[in-house]
Amino acid sequence: MEKGLTIRRIVVAGVLSAIAILLGVTRLGYIPVPTPAGNATIMHVPAIIGGIMEGPIVGLIIGLIFGASSFLEATVPLFKDPLVAILPRLFIGVVAFFIYFGLKRFNEYVAIGVAGFIGSLTNTVLVLFMAVVRGYMAPKVAIGVAITNGIPEAIVSIIVTLAIVASWKKIGVSVKQKSKISGKF
Amino acid sequence: MASQFELTRNITIGQYIPTGSIIHKLDACFKLLSFTIMLIAIAICGTYFGNIVILAFSIALFMLSRIPIRYGLSGIKPAIPFVVILAILQLLFYGSVASGGTVLVKSGFILITTDSLRLVVVSAMRFVEIILISSVLTLSTSTTELTHGMERLLKPLKYIKFPVHEFSLIITIAIRFVPTFAMEMEKLMKAQASRGAEFGTGQWWRIVKRTKDMFPLIIPLFNSAMERAEDLILAMEARCYTPGEVRSNYKRYHIKVTDIMVLLFSILFSILILFYPFPY
Repeated sequence: MEKGLTIRRIVVAGVLSAIAILLGVTRLGYIPVPTPAGNATIMHVPAIIGGIMEGPIVGLIIGLIFGASSFLEATVPLFKDPLVAILPRLFIGVVAFFIYFGLKRFNEYVAIGVAGFIGSLTNTVLVLFMAVVRGYMAPKVAIGVAITNGIPEAIVSIIVTLAIVASWKKIGVSVKQKSKISGKF
Repeated sequence: MASQFELTRNITIGQYIPTGSIIHKLDACFKLLSFTIMLIAIAICGTYFGNIVILAFSIALFMLSRIPIRYGLSGIKPAIPFVVILAILQLLFYGSVASGGTVLVKSGFILITTDSLRLVVVSAMRFVEIILISSVLTLSTSTTELTHGMERLLKPLKYIKFPVHEFSLIITIAIRFVPTFAMEMEKLMKAQASRGAEFGTGQWWRIVKRTKDMFPLIIPLFNSAMERAEDLILAMEARCYTPGEVRSNYKRYHIKVTDIMVLLFSILFSILILFYPFPY
């Protein structure tokens, strides 16, 4: 695996960040659930996918841009705090990458699914942890949210991640369009 | 019903309205810096009067930039229901958190104090101010200028091996593609709806169903995004773009007196807002 930012990584990070921003801005990424956190979200899925497909740096950057956009777009005081909105999001893609990388040799699809699950839980747990640390939420409430909100979110994330990454790895776009220099499949 | 398909209307990212005002002519680097300073001041300022001053100032900024204020207001409109509901919830339940000041209403679990009232009003005003000021910034600066400005602002980070140029390129790509994807999403929604797909019509408590409803949209969106990424990679490689190389700019920037004056003004304004003893 090449080190640093290649053209492929730059472009994929940019495009997936655009999706993360779009899902946030248009509220398509929110699935309204009556919890103290407000919404279940699939906005963190681009970060997971980026982490799985192009490595930890891309996952980190998408997480950063997703965090920054959720910070700027936030209507809740909880997410107007950069320590809650941005910092936990950095780890989503990185964790997803390491899970995928570790499990890849056993079974590709299981690895993708587990990476999606754990990546999503990373988001939930770290955000709620920061919310408790910064005093926005009582620990009991946070645990409640983690169960009622985090688990469905994680399950949704498995399905979406698997569907997208699998279809991308297997089929790709028409093969002739892929770059000969950096296309690796 | 029709508004369900109009995604592009709500997106103010990437919009640019050239009116040639003083604000348009400012250096993007200084504009960003002043914006950040103002943002911090707004985030900290917790007085009624201070926020009224900032609100008036942000409207004045719109006049100065000669951008019609409805562009700023259009960013606020979709968020109004959220803000109102949140304000009510905060008003009802934040009494125990912000319990200082005198008690205004106390019945059962509802506790409204002067402090919680202040929290609600100030956070609503803060929200409007941030939207107005950030729309002045984005409407008066093209995305290219903005990312160039950011690149120059982050330049000192190069010394700790942070890939400033690549990072700003990623952000340029991200901002550039948001409106494109929004349009694509609109097309997808219409295409799926015309084939009988229903999204967002299920009851709101059926989480899994509402999520599944979104799949016919989200998966094609990701796939077409990756196709576009593939095209862009090919185009960039064909033009021999090399990450990490020293690059020169097409445009050269020179710092002008007005730029420095604007920066000084925003610093002074922020200090005034934060430290002037407003009565309320």
